[in-house]
Amino acid sequence: MKKLLLKKEIDAFRKKAQKLEHPREMVIDLLRAIQDHFGWVPDAGVELAADILGVPPIEVEEVATFYDKIYRQKVGRYPIHICDSICCWIRGGEEIAAHLQQQLGIKLGQTTSDGLFTLLPTCCLGGCGRAPSIMVGKRFYGHLTCDGLDQIIAQLREEAVG
Amino acid sequence: MPTLTIDNQTVIVAEGGSVLDAAIALGIVVPHYCYHPALGAVGACRQCAVTILEGSQKGLKMACLIPAEDDMQVSTCEEEAVAFRAQVGEWLMTNHPHDCPVCDEGGECQLQEMTIGAGHGIRRYRGNKRTYLNQDLGPFVAQEMNRCIQCYRCVRTYKDYCGGEDFGVMGSQQRVFFGRFKDGPLESDFSGNLIDFCPTGVFTDRTNRFRTRSWDLQQAPSICPHCSLGCSILPGGRYQELQRVRAGGNRLTNDSFICDRARFGSDWNNHPKRPREARISGEKVEFPYALELLEERLEKLVEEYGGETLRLLGSPRASFEANLLLKKLAEKYGAPAPYYDAHPRRAFAARMAASIPSGQLASLKQLRESDLILLVGVDPLAEAPVLALALRQAARAGARIVALDPRPLELPCDFEHHPLTQESLLRGLSAPEENELLESLRQQLETSQRPVLVGGGELLGGEGLRLLLHFSESCCGSHDCLIFPVLHGPNSFGGGILGATGDSNRNLIEDLENGNVRALICVETDPAIEHSEPGRMQLALSRLELLAVFDHLPTNTVATADIFLPTRTIYECAGTFINNEGRMQAFDPVLEPGIPIVVTGSGGHPPRQFETTPPGSAPRSAVHLLQWLLKDRNDLFGLRRQIIKELPCLRDLDRLAAGDNGRRIADCGDTLEESRTEIWAQEGELQVLPITARYGSDLYSRWSQSLTSRFEEPSVWIHPVEAAERGFVNGQKVVLRTVVGHFHLPLVFKAKMARGRLIVPCLPGTPLEVFTPGGLSLPCKIYSEVDNA
Ligand code: SF4
Ligand code: SF4
Ligand code: FES
Repeated sequence: MKKLLLKKEIDAFRKKAQKLEHPREMVIDLLRAIQDHFGWVPDAGVELAADILGVPPIEVEEVATFYDKIYRQKVGRYPIHICDSICCWIRGGEEIAAHLQQQLGIKLGQTTSDGLFTLLPTCCLGGCGRAPSIMVGKRFYGHLTCDGLDQIIAQLREEAVG
Repeated sequence: MPTLTIDNQTVIVAEGGSVLDAAIALGIVVPHYCYHPALGAVGACRQCAVTILEGSQKGLKMACLIPAEDDMQVSTCEEEAVAFRAQVGEWLMTNHPHDCPVCDEGGECQLQEMTIGAGHGIRRYRGNKRTYLNQDLGPFVAQEMNRCIQCYRCVRTYKDYCGGEDFGVMGSQQRVFFGRFKDGPLESDFSGNLIDFCPTGVFTDRTNRFRTRSWDLQQAPSICPHCSLGCSILPGGRYQELQRVRAGGNRLTNDSFICDRARFGSDWNNHPKRPREARISGEKVEFPYALELLEERLEKLVEEYGGETLRLLGSPRASFEANLLLKKLAEKYGAPAPYYDAHPRRAFAARMAASIPSGQLASLKQLRESDLILLVGVDPLAEAPVLALALRQAARAGARIVALDPRPLELPCDFEHHPLTQESLLRGLSAPEENELLESLRQQLETSQRPVLVGGGELLGGEGLRLLLHFSESCCGSHDCLIFPVLHGPNSFGGGILGATGDSNRNLIEDLENGNVRALICVETDPAIEHSEPGRMQLALSRLELLAVFDHLPTNTVATADIFLPTRTIYECAGTFINNEGRMQAFDPVLEPGIPIVVTGSGGHPPRQFETTPPGSAPRSAVHLLQWLLKDRNDLFGLRRQIIKELPCLRDLDRLAAGDNGRRIADCGDTLEESRTEIWAQEGELQVLPITARYGSDLYSRWSQSLTSRFEEPSVWIHPVEAAERGFVNGQKVVLRTVVGHFHLPLVFKAKMARGRLIVPCLPGTPLEVFTPGGLSLPCKIYSEVDNA
């Protein structure tokens, strides 16, 4: 069973929280750290964060559920955020989304059976100048075409094996 | 105060008021959701659009966000604003399930009214609606999230105003969800306010689900009988069953909020064992017969042995009128003046509070506006829950809250807690200049603008309140330091006024025990529960020749009375209570007395009324019974006028109307000279302090079945250091030996309580019910269960 965070990380966060006037300002860092470690943030992750920050769990949950880059459900190893905001839409975002769904054989919100990919629509990745765009994990890809997408997927598959 | 014109009508609003406030004052309905007078405006729902024609910000604006200005011209009828409101209405309704026929809010729903008001009627959206899984929020509040319009009033109520920590808003965009992190009962003691504040049917009263349409309810403004604050409430019921309680509005007291014990703890009124028939020695009789017999026996007794042998006991839960008539009855029979609380220490506290000059008493409103509040010997959440809300509002506005109390206090706001024992508190107050802490507090009180001292009558007693009054006088230099006494019941203060004229050194139990007393009449009180030594009281009662009880609760004393007469509850008659700050407040009857039809008709449908008793035998009010004995034919109004003649300090009594803000009594005259010597235990001796439990200790909660889920498990509390010194561990089973018996209890560590003391919460239905809060701490011994064996 994977751990939410390593003990030394937890200790470091606790130490830092003690020094801050408003420890809750660390909530995103903490959720991110748990996610990097565990792949997503389960209920126990929210409770752990709340405990470290000394706030009720609901206050962590409010933040965790507000941001779509914090995963409160299990996602694949490579969560793919497809921008559906206006610039990407004008420049073919819908085709990108359709292509990805077809290639991976899943719908938006689903995870491939090999546990590699999850497709998530997202509102604006801040890369309007390079539309259409997606983000895989923390990596941004712009100026996409269907061919380009296939390459990216292939690369990721290789990376996963290697 | 700005004067402005809306739709060609001119109105003046208070400084700081908004355009929406002005429209509401004119009776112009501008639809709105997120704005609520008690919560303020946040501009979240976008429903309240109007057009500002003249003013510093012109054009289409949100009425709730624009401050009213002099000479402003506002229109609510401009085409653009009308269309805007209709669109917002339509947009807020896109996901609404249109399930009004199965929604308890239907008929009193702000969303229904204001959607129509906004001009949206026909649904155009044909897409899928957003739907949610609801949470189980416990026995009090039901959730139906699909009806949500994202106005955010619930979080602002639960979290911001009431300080609840287990409720919030999750998600974003179309998915916002208002609830808890996980399913589970709402933890706040004010959770029920969600029901009143949500403008739609997301949060409804689970204790009254699917039972009554709002238009079928009988409702009348009333006063909460669960503690001494006298919050205004709006109870409703039908078929002789009290079904629900909502908050009333009184900006001087509870504003628009009540606590959960008031809202969900009203079913004592329908208690299946509620005594509804007159009894003589336990046998049912018709009530005129019982009343005549009582009169006959009283007359005979007085004739043979003199009025001296008769005692009368009023109560903090009987109306002021009933308590006053009891006094007249005492005069008629030449009996000594009545007692008004079976608990002598509480009675003294009430007399003391009633003697504080009216101008020195604070209202809850003044508490909310205070900048430094010192709590002395009071646990707000247990003794006067809405007080805790007022403290929170003061704290939110920047006030400092300091508490001196032996209990491990919790409050829904930041505060400074000094856990002093009851004795060291009293000792400190008796010589505050020698006490470093009190001396420094005194200086701080002196320099603050609007300081208030809150004193708990239960812990401090009359003596402590008297010392507190002196302390407050010592810290008002240039301005007043107001006092907010917390008492036991809804009419404790009234009893305090009436009791002030009696001989204060008498003591009911000693009276009963010295053998001269032959008869006692108890009006809406059970001395065997209320007295500080229930066992001793029970014995004394059993020796009486005549014990007459007027009551509506199924107490033991009712069962053992020689003559019992059932009375109406406050929901079944009119009357007045005087709350802890001397505010007279009237209540009106909500229901007819009688057995609820759910009982007589065995829950069948359609509900049919079956009488199991002869017509005319329904309970009378205590006032009616006493008037019959006194041959007094006044109606309530006449009675009040008569009271004013005798007690000029109640001069506004005849101007009261149920549902108004109540009226303060005027000064009752001389300050009370009474003083009692109490022997305060030394530090270091192990003592146990019985305290009011958060749920169950008040006069009515113990008979309220819907509150039982909130009752705690019996336990005895100790400071961890104290426990370590004695070699105890947390949770360990111990034996507590006291004068009232010995108890096997788990020991619970409370790090925030005073040292050198044990604490037991008084819980009905458990062995701990023999303890009564309101006294001094008792000597005790504690052993581990193993050693004891
Ligand atoms: S649950 Fe009720 S109060 Fe809360 S946002 Fe929704 S409609 Fe408003
Ligand atoms: S604070 Fe007291 S008076 Fe007010 S609602 Fe609660 S129990 Fe009733
Ligand atoms: S009431 Fe004005 S925006 Fe909601």
